[in-house]
Amino acid sequence: MLGIYCPPIANQIKPGQFVMLKVSDNMSPLLRRPFSVYKSYPASHPEKRKRGHLFILYKKVGEGTRRMTTLSKGQKVDLIGPLGNGFSLPPLPSSAHCVLIGGGVGIVSLYPLAEALRGRKCFVLIGGKTKNDILGAEDFRKLNSNILMATEDGSLGVRGTVVDLFISQTKKFKTNEKYYIYACGPVPMLRALAGTVKSKKFICQVSLETRMGCGFGACWGCVVKTKHPKIPYQRVCQEGPVFRIEDIAWE
Amino acid sequence: MEDCDLTVRIGRMNLKNPVVVSSGTFGFGEEFEDFFDLSRLGAIIPKGISLKPMAGNPPPRIFETEGGILNSIGLQNPGFREFIKSKLPYYKNLKTHLIINFFGNTQKEYVELARRFDDVAGISGLEMNISCPNVKRGGIVFGTDPQMAYRLVQAVRKATALTLIVKLSPNVTDIALMAKSVEEGGADAVSLVNTFRAMAVNIHTKKPELGNTIGGLSGPAIKPIALRMVWEVGQAVNIPIIGMGGIMNATDAIEFILVGASAIQIGTANLINPKTGIEVIHGIKKYLAQNKIDRIQKLVGTFG
Repeated sequence: MLGIYCPPIANQIKPGQFVMLKVSDNMSPLLRRPFSVYKSYPASHPEKRKRGHLFILYKKVGEGTRRMTTLSKGQKVDLIGPLGNGFSLPPLPSSAHCVLIGGGVGIVSLYPLAEALRGRKCFVLIGGKTKNDILGAEDFRKLNSNILMATEDGSLGVRGTVVDLFISQTKKFKTNEKYYIYACGPVPMLRALAGTVKSKKFICQVSLETRMGCGFGACWGCVVKTKHPKIPYQRVCQEGPVFRIEDIAWE
Repeated sequence: MEDCDLTVRIGRMNLKNPVVVSSGTFGFGEEFEDFFDLSRLGAIIPKGISLKPMAGNPPPRIFETEGGILNSIGLQNPGFREFIKSKLPYYKNLKTHLIINFFGNTQKEYVELARRFDDVAGISGLEMNISCPNVKRGGIVFGTDPQMAYRLVQAVRKATALTLIVKLSPNVTDIALMAKSVEEGGADAVSLVNTFRAMAVNIHTKKPELGNTIGGLSGPAIKPIALRMVWEVGQAVNIPIIGMGGIMNATDAIEFILVGASAIQIGTANLINPKTGIEVIHGIKKYLAQNKIDRIQKLVGTFG
């Protein structure tokens, strides 16, 4: 977890938006890296000491994240944000059901959403390869969300993927009610999910993760193929990262 | 320090300073307005425009390598009509030069586009892209054959009175020869270098890192080669050179000016630090003041 004091971003950021972080002041790595913000504390937050802070939950996967582990307290970092379009919440007042589905580190971007949905009927499904890949369960529990977990090796929760878990839950869903589904995770997971939420009772948004150049719409490097009739390749950083699941060309 | 004269003349354009932002790395400009006042730049070159809209290449389109970036965007753009309708009005309020980067699949398309842009108010110059490594037809085909480049520039020259800059590819044996050919064809200036054809391989998937397999390499990794090419071209032609290739800061920019560039373009650096352009202008001013040089033009080509 990396905590950053940056009041302008902490005050503005909405669930699903992201920041671009430059972890080195030299050429290696060269590009910024996109990160979802796990927790942010705006000026209005009851915990005074935390105001203006935001927290990034990350896993060491490459040179960038390795550098992040070497940052020391008080060291300055360079970040741009908030970026992209966040999740659309169900309209209020609403008795709609919300289902948050996170695979691996994808769960990070869903935590601020769970906070925003506090008090509503909210289910959280968390999946990972093993129990070590299950992140944030404790925090979601503190929000009083209903949590279910799935691991591919069965080391925590039910055995299988988080989409398998979702399918098993849909059997309990009521036919005449709306379900707002919010998902973030690797593409194969989201593609599998796309096949299961075609019914009109589902309103499903997904947050995509792709390699990014700039993060603010300048390079067209992070595109995803959509069903847009004129412009199939849309920028994840600008038109996304949150898309309606039916707008993406999942082939 | 404010007294230094940073103005540069490129064709018919008088740039207030030599710092230009490069096509393909600056979106349509509006993406940068939260970061600084775009009117402070010498000129803006938005994303390259073709006659018809282009969808671009399949992702992944970007991959970071040691000190560089590989991209295979594939010239995704909305096409001439949509650009004029939805993008051009934005530039009207900016107090800087607008240079349009354009390209075609055939000579006819290049000429047609040049003619159309010539009729549009608010455009100062054209940058002909004959060097994109990411599309099969057009572009680089013209950029690697001196005879073809000469004929193409000659035809485009007749179609427009705007300042005509030709953007050269580094993927040639003799870039000075290419520069001379386009000078003879009637170009007002050359800009160089575009990206180097390159690729990256993933040993786990045994697949290329880019959806298009081959892409263009940019960033600090290419700077020494770009510098050498600008220097060689400077000795071969009499028209101004706009130098680029891995410029990350004012020091890099000054190196290009010293070896013969009248102006420079910031490319990849825009993606990492969107304020690079402004920082480079400031750094150049500081350098001139420290070295008691009153005009930037006195610095051009003074290397060696």
